[in-house]
Amino acid sequence: MIPAVKTTAPPAVADEPGAAAPVAAAPVAAASAPAVPVAGRVVLGMACTIHESQALRAHLLEKAAHPGPYEIDGGGVEQIDTAGVQLLVAFALDCLERNIPYTWKARSAALEEAIRVLGVAPLLESPGVSSFVPGGAA
Amino acid sequence: MTLDLAQFHDTFFEESFEALDQMEAALLKLSAGAVDSELINTIFRVAHSIKGGSATFGFGDVAAFTHTLETLLDELRAGKRQVSPPLVDVLLRSSDLMRDMLDATKHKRALDKERVKALHGEIEAFLKSAAAKSVAAPAAATAAQALSGTSERTGWRIHFVPGSKLLRNGNDPLRILRELQTLGPCVIRVDARYVPPLADLDAEECRLAWNAELSGDIHEDQVRAVFDWVEGECELLLERFGAAAAAAPAPVAAPAVAPAPPAAAVPTAIPAAIAPAASTAAEASRATNAGEGGSIRVSIEKIDELLNSVGELVITQSVLSQLAAPLEGAEELRSALGQLERHMRALQESVMRVRMLPISFVFNRFPRLVRDLGQRLGKKIELTMIGDQTELDKTVLEKIGDPLVHLVRNSIDHGIESPEARVAAGKSAHGTIELNAYHKGGNVVVEVKDDGGGLKRDKILAKARERGLVGPDEELSEERIYNLIFAPGFSTADVVSDVSGRGVGMDVVKRNINELGGHVQIHSTPGKGSMVRIRLPLTLAILDGQLARVGNEVYVVPIVSIVETMQVRKELVNSIASKGEVFRLRDEYLPIVRLYDLFGIQPDHTELLDGLMMIVEADGKRVGLFVDELMSQQQVVIKSLETNFRPVTGLAGATMLGDGRVALILDIPGVITRFQTKESRRESAQRAA
Repeated sequence: MIPAVKTTAPPAVADEPGAAAPVAAAPVAAASAPAVPVAGRVVLGMACTIHESQALRAHLLEKAAHPGPYEIDGGGVEQIDTAGVQLLVAFALDCLERNIPYTWKARSAALEEAIRVLGVAPLLESPGVSSFVPGGAA
Repeated sequence: MTLDLAQFHDTFFEESFEALDQMEAALLKLSAGAVDSELINTIFRVAHSIKGGSATFGFGDVAAFTHTLETLLDELRAGKRQVSPPLVDVLLRSSDLMRDMLDATKHKRALDKERVKALHGEIEAFLKSAAAKSVAAPAAATAAQALSGTSERTGWRIHFVPGSKLLRNGNDPLRILRELQTLGPCVIRVDARYVPPLADLDAEECRLAWNAELSGDIHEDQVRAVFDWVEGECELLLERFGAAAAAAPAPVAAPAVAPAPPAAAVPTAIPAAIAPAASTAAEASRATNAGEGGSIRVSIEKIDELLNSVGELVITQSVLSQLAAPLEGAEELRSALGQLERHMRALQESVMRVRMLPISFVFNRFPRLVRDLGQRLGKKIELTMIGDQTELDKTVLEKIGDPLVHLVRNSIDHGIESPEARVAAGKSAHGTIELNAYHKGGNVVVEVKDDGGGLKRDKILAKARERGLVGPDEELSEERIYNLIFAPGFSTADVVSDVSGRGVGMDVVKRNINELGGHVQIHSTPGKGSMVRIRLPLTLAILDGQLARVGNEVYVVPIVSIVETMQVRKELVNSIASKGEVFRLRDEYLPIVRLYDLFGIQPDHTELLDGLMMIVEADGKRVGLFVDELMSQQQVVIKSLETNFRPVTGLAGATMLGDGRVALILDIPGVITRFQTKESRRESAQRAA
């Protein structure tokens, strides 16, 4: 099932990598994915909460219009809640369904903690790409 | 999206105040020595919920204070600290402070920071005290042991399916699961099977669910407390595992937690038709759960609007019945109108019941009052409350609180003797105060009884004579003597020393109760105690009335006030200098109140034999109310004069009759007051002439 793609650029999401300063960015995994063009780079903004969820969803849909692979940069995320994480899960599941690989460029401490607490780490690992961080929850 | 959390503030405050009542009740049970984990969990849960809510809504001061309090309660809950009177005192004062802080926050008033700081310091001093260190095996160690496999693991399997609107309502599973993990080692697995493709996902709806395995010797209440804020908004199943599960059946039958599917096996390709169906089923289940024994909060204004509309319908139905009555050959119409009347009555009663609340809402404040005041006065007092589930109208309930507090205070302060005096009098050192509520007829009766020294009849009578309230030779019944304490300014400590204060403010008590359409009686036995009995109407919206006509006017006389009705023969009537026109009824003389004279209207009859005398009673006083004729009895919907016109002494309100006429409802205590005032003026005028 391929989602319909929209291309609205969300204000709450950084336009380019590095626009939001990474917060305690974790090391990037040695991914075997090919080099990612700019169009495939997903940069998460500082806040990824329910308040920004419409914008984040639009941004992810816009990126999903690109054939991939994708590179997700969550190094700048300072605030995230379940709504934000759920959008990432939906994006990841879409990738899985479309068999498109993605890699994580960075994950901030806040994002890492949310992923751990919500137990979604296994869902955010692209098949065929080595683990970004040890999977599983606490 | 802007989520306006302010819309939830009122509910939060309301629920927090109710929760603090529960906390106080539990603390008072603790202070009585009944230490049990359920009580401690209740107390903890309240603090925990208030902390969580305050933090969510940005009430930082409340959240910070409650957080410290919660730490202390956590030690108590974990068995690290013993319950002691000083600890209970601090906790009670903390509950008072939390109430005041919330109240100040609600009304946007400044907090008493000094008080907060002082109590905060006391709690921290408790936390630093040695008592906490005398504890074996910290919880963390126990949990670690459980995980290490040295003993059989015990804990909870938790299945948590948030409702789709949970996120929109300001709740966040991330916060909830984070908190769950503070209880012990916890393995959390997400269930993403209902997450639709990104394009179909409503970003503000929660489609994730979780299964968790929480290890450790954790009480069910602790786990449930984590989910307090989403109760009714999620599906929550708890299943105990390990030794504890074997020892006791799981409190909630729940399916075993299935291991989370590996990422590659996540069923993302669930057909669209299935996912929504499954989701709908889950929501239906949640809706059913919420409906079972659930409740909704509805503002009192909405209930009153509904009640008012029903009242109007009752009047319309009454008009229709009256119009149909003379119609010939309209049996079917009359039959249908009879049916309509029955349904209207049922509807009205149903709506009335919505406004009813148990009197426990008022009674619940008394354990604390008795404890605190008893301690302060060095008296040992046991409080018994009977019938606290007796229901009465919310408005009546709100107005009865202060008079009852006054009566109970009086019982503690002046009724119950000191332990030494009681023992010397051959009584138990422990005094008792009993609060009793029950329905009787169309009324609620509330009794405040104590086994103290009782009222001193002779002293009251002497004082009343001294003040001219009772004539030098006038003989009064016991009841009327005791009723003297309700006279304004009657009782002072210097006069009736051993019952000092019994009358201070008692006039206010009586006035408040009369304003509610209720009555107060007092009974007392010297040396054995006193009882104040309050009779209140169940509701202030509807009245059982007797219609009485005077000239062209129709008045409604509350049936509860009517003693009997009779025709008065001329030979029974006398004129007494100090009391005006009276008539003899068996052994007593009753003043005659000519209603036409009182309200200045033209009657059909002025001769007593031509009309009817209704004997009415209020506050222990009886008078004869002279009217032209009696009409039917009926339930009337009370419309406030105060709201629609202005207060008038002697009138409790107005109503609309079936024929469309407006009838005034008599307030019998007011009628007597108005009559006495008029008589006094007449006498003064005569004397002056």
